[in-house]
Amino acid sequence: MKKTTVIAFLILLGWSSSLHAQTNFDPGRKQAIVSLALEKVKDLSKYISIIGNKDTQFSEAQRVMDRAEELFAADSEMGVSSLSSEEVTYYKVREYFERLMALNYDRVEIKWYDIHYVSDLEQQPDGTYVGVITIYQRFEGTSKDGMSYRDTTKKDITIYVKKKETQIAGRIIEFWDVLLGDIRVTETSA
Amino acid sequence: MNKLLISLSFLAVFHSSVGQSRLTDDMKATEAQLSASNKQINQFFRRFNGEEDGKGKRLFPGDKKYQDISLRKKYIPNLFDQKTNSFSSDEIKKFLKKVLDKERPSLLDFHNDDWFAEVNADFLLNGKKTSGLLYLKLQKQGLGYEWIIEDVAFDVFQNQFDKDTSESKRFMHPMSHELGFMTLKKALQDEDHTEQFTARNYQPDFLTLFLYELNQGNLTFQAVKNVKFHFFSVDGWYFSIANFNRPGYNSGWLISNLVAIPSETMEKQLKDYIYNRN
Repeated sequence: MKKTTVIAFLILLGWSSSLHAQTNFDPGRKQAIVSLALEKVKDLSKYISIIGNKDTQFSEAQRVMDRAEELFAADSEMGVSSLSSEEVTYYKVREYFERLMALNYDRVEIKWYDIHYVSDLEQQPDGTYVGVITIYQRFEGTSKDGMSYRDTTKKDITIYVKKKETQIAGRIIEFWDVLLGDIRVTETSA
Repeated sequence: MNKLLISLSFLAVFHSSVGQSRLTDDMKATEAQLSASNKQINQFFRRFNGEEDGKGKRLFPGDKKYQDISLRKKYIPNLFDQKTNSFSSDEIKKFLKKVLDKERPSLLDFHNDDWFAEVNADFLLNGKKTSGLLYLKLQKQGLGYEWIIEDVAFDVFQNQFDKDTSESKRFMHPMSHELGFMTLKKALQDEDHTEQFTARNYQPDFLTLFLYELNQGNLTFQAVKNVKFHFFSVDGWYFSIANFNRPGYNSGWLISNLVAIPSETMEKQLKDYIYNRN
């Protein structure tokens, strides 16, 4: 069973009896949600590494892009800026992945720093909770003639935490689900 | 307890589970700097308030060090931009004294404080590139909060309202009413600055103009260029924070400006200046 499913299930079991009409949660429950969100971010990191890898076959990359897209809420975008230009360029998530796949390097290595920061979860007007998880990625692309390009990017990833319902053994159970949203990608000078 | 263990184990496995090889030495060195950086405004708030310990661990109400004065005393000086801005050490001392007052410490409150964002963004106005400032504030709405556009400042709008206040300014004479205001024709036709026919205390509402142009399709959003935040949250003080994207241990969201504001008049003047209302 996928780890995400296990966690979602644990959260569901832990909360099923007390979530009715609940609009806020204590730090322990928030922490459990954060774990689920980090799991999704981890999945995204893994997918980005696979999509960017030059050894990944086209059909496999397409399949991984499909899986990656499933992590996101509809209409999510990536806002990208570089050190040379502070202006932000916006891409649809799929477009961003396709651009990553099409990068003209013979070898690409994507690594992730062991640093992440998780913001508080704030409630938006419709009751959905929203937070931001920050992670850092190191990209290194090398071309055939040995020229290499290296950058570190900060990724501020929106997470939406929404109450959902499911039916188990005829009983309606509420649980919290996590979706990723817009991502701000900033090249850092680190 | 189980949930806590699960979450802690996730924190530990986040890096290794992405399936990557070990970090290089230079990445490890960078990692320490990224850890020190104020990565989000949220982290600036936590560090300012003493809600994160020296190792980056979140502190909650009930934790021994939560909002601890000595922790904050250590953290807050590091929240200032120490490279490009030269703050007076005397000024910082006074600010710290106020913020760390044992009886009434000053804490930042995300929802209730007097703070707002200034966003510099690019637009196209009738096909021509232009930039402007948007001032955004948090507002309670429905079950939560939203950011709303409180005001805007665009040179291209402001230049349209260069009111002539001299004694020689143009006017409609005081017997115009007897002529069915036929003087309006001379006032409003072929005139670039019709604002001179308004009341002395007339102030153009640029937000309405901005929204009108957007809704008409004359103005279209392009991209955000820069963001900073202004805080009037600490009594008698103003400070702004900006993002410093640079290597080292003093980076991310840092205090870029600190001003003592001893009177309400000065606070109003400063706000007028920030909002470009001068």
